[in-house]
Amino acid sequence: MRFALAGNPNCGKTTLFNSLTGATGHVGNWPGVTVDKREGVYKKLEEKVSIIDLPGIYSLSPYTPEEVISRNFILDEKPDCIINVVDATNLERNLYLTTQLLEIDAPIIIALNMMDEVKKSGRKIDSKTLEKELNVKVVEISALKNQGLNELMKAAYLEAKRERTGYSVLENSRIGKVIDETKEDLKHKGISSPLFHAVKLIENDEIEIKAHPEISIGVEELKNKEPKDEFNGDYEAIVADLRYKYISSKFSSVVVKSEKEETLTKSDKIDKVMTHRIWSIPLFLVIMFVVFHLVFSEDLLFLNSIFGLEITSEGWINFLTGMGAEVDELTGEVAALAGIPSPGVFLQNWMGFATGSLIDLFRSFMPEGTWYTGLICDGLLTGLDSIFSFLPQILLLFLFISILEDSGYMARVAFIMDRAFRKFGLSGKAFIPLLMGFGCSVPAMMAAKTLEDEKERDMTIRLTPFFSCGAKAPIWAMLAVAIAGSFLGDIFVFSIYILGIVVAIIAAIIMKAFNKNYEAPPFIMELPSYHAPQFKNLMAHLWEKLKHFVIKASTIITAAIILIWFLSNFGWAFWNGMVDDIEASILASIGKALKYFFYPLGWAQGVDGWKFSVASVTGLIAKEDVVATMAQLGLCDDAGESIAFLMTNSRIYAFAAYNLFTFPCFAAIATAKSESSKKAFPITLLFWFFGSYVISLVVFLVGLLFEASIILGILIILVIIGLIVLGLYLLKRRNTKALKAKNA
Amino acid sequence: MPITIAPLNTILTIVKLFVDEKTKRHLENLGVLVNSEIMVISKNDGNIIVKVKDGRLALNKDVALKIFVR
Repeated sequence: MRFALAGNPNCGKTTLFNSLTGATGHVGNWPGVTVDKREGVYKKLEEKVSIIDLPGIYSLSPYTPEEVISRNFILDEKPDCIINVVDATNLERNLYLTTQLLEIDAPIIIALNMMDEVKKSGRKIDSKTLEKELNVKVVEISALKNQGLNELMKAAYLEAKRERTGYSVLENSRIGKVIDETKEDLKHKGISSPLFHAVKLIENDEIEIKAHPEISIGVEELKNKEPKDEFNGDYEAIVADLRYKYISSKFSSVVVKSEKEETLTKSDKIDKVMTHRIWSIPLFLVIMFVVFHLVFSEDLLFLNSIFGLEITSEGWINFLTGMGAEVDELTGEVAALAGIPSPGVFLQNWMGFATGSLIDLFRSFMPEGTWYTGLICDGLLTGLDSIFSFLPQILLLFLFISILEDSGYMARVAFIMDRAFRKFGLSGKAFIPLLMGFGCSVPAMMAAKTLEDEKERDMTIRLTPFFSCGAKAPIWAMLAVAIAGSFLGDIFVFSIYILGIVVAIIAAIIMKAFNKNYEAPPFIMELPSYHAPQFKNLMAHLWEKLKHFVIKASTIITAAIILIWFLSNFGWAFWNGMVDDIEASILASIGKALKYFFYPLGWAQGVDGWKFSVASVTGLIAKEDVVATMAQLGLCDDAGESIAFLMTNSRIYAFAAYNLFTFPCFAAIATAKSESSKKAFPITLLFWFFGSYVISLVVFLVGLLFEASIILGILIILVIIGLIVLGLYLLKRRNTKALKAKNA
Repeated sequence: MPITIAPLNTILTIVKLFVDEKTKRHLENLGVLVNSEIMVISKNDGNIIVKVKDGRLALNKDVALKIFVR
């Protein structure tokens, strides 16, 4: 048996799905987190039941591509029972979809979700009346608190065994006659759920008219016979209006509002601040900075830089902070530590300490100088260690992003960003997939499905890698240690993320400039209520991330590390055995060829330049491999210390920029190919290839200037910005002219 | 009047939607349709947050300008 979960976006379908099947599907507090159907098994009934979680829909006439998935599944795959998840806190709007689902000839049951919220707000819902009016079973549940789920499933199981013929709440309305006649026509043709299709035909639903062109002509004739009214024959509006009228006439008494209820909820009051005209964007930046500060700073609250706080004691404080006593190798003195480390750095220190000790222990049991010791210790363990030591930091970063997501704030970010993004040809809605890009580009590109416009989808997919994904974070964490003045680590990492966003905006402007008649689609988005992040959800997010990471590390990353080990330990004549000098290895010769390509970017210069070139290329396999390769080639220990001696800040920054903007990993490239339009994909590849090169070059040159003279650096930057602005202004003028000409 | 200049926290009635067909359909599905009630909760430079039924919708300036209320 198969049960499908259908309902409005953000009504808790995935939470219900997770509770029923024990899955850990991604739950977020904004509409459109689920963009593809997902299947799980419920085992507590007599027989096993497949549960299918569908993307949220407001109506069975789809607006975005992911809504088509839901409609097709419900109509074509014919689940044994449709579980219509209804958000009880917004009953009327949710029942709009219900009135459409009822028209289908299929068993259906209503799960009245979020009843705990309703009770908390002091409202009452009379579910018995609801049940009687709609003539389907209604079960009160709370998916989050696991209440009423067994009852729901038992009831659904009973319903699934019964036949059900659809009925429409519009049957007794003034268009009842038209519906009836159309239904008979469709029935005659042997089409299943004739009532549903009849109503959709009358609504002028695009998909429906394409499917039954001959009947739609008859429908038009029927409609023309009807008397004209205030809607002027706009049947889609008439149907929507009738549905809503039916709902409010029948169910306004079902919801009893509490007396103390105010017009403005707590959520609205928070929004007055969070979406403030002036403060919203600075607030967003501050929140993001605090997150990065807590994860990457070596000087918590800047206690050291501002108040001169230093931890010098060698004793328990050092032990506790995990910083260890850093003994200066030359003088033998204990170096002062720069303030208290942030939780992220603290965890990283400990993790590095733990994995490092483990490897040392392991190494002590291995015979020295054999090839397999080299492979296991210098190759595999060193490579994996470099990634794993950053794992706690990455998880912490995720925890914070999940908190922002789950609280409902991210949906507001989309709204406040819309104003900025719109000028650049993207709507704020595109910001949501992009924000997901901070996690992983693959689901982010899939989330671009929620965008209704093809051009916007292509642009969003193209920009997704610029939103630094979790796998790239170890690169920044490592470089943060290497950047001169290491207490600036958090500022460095923050600046990388901001650079990503800024370049994405500039790239969007440029893309828009080349698309003459393009305007971003309107921004219409439901804002969920704020709620305290759910511990269960947060842990599920972290668990998913950890699982993904471990699987990736044990498969594709391990394979890449072994490959790099082989290439760096053998010469072209590999049958002669290992080479003593890495410079004679296969990898070195490849790297030295690559080096010339990257030479202008700064970081490929010098004796070790080829190693950086190779490292950035191995990032194609998985972005974690950049760090793993660097560790294997001896460019850094897990704390990234030695890199500082090899590179200047401008080179480090240019290297970071290149890795941020270049091709994402193969998995993401494949996703981009399948999610974007055929025409756009080759351009996307070129865009990544040249974009990263140019930006890295600019960063390097500007960095050099700054190192030579700060004033000159600022001047040149201003000139560059000026030129960009001028160029865009000219393009924009051309576009407005074109638009005007088109409209006139 | 366009909803962008409507007073805050007041119950308004939608008179007309001057948007394209696709957007109109989407708005209607969300409960923004002629003769239904709507309330502006906050304004952010023309972009608005409205209360429709028991839900909150964020609309950008271009759309908001085309929703007429009384």
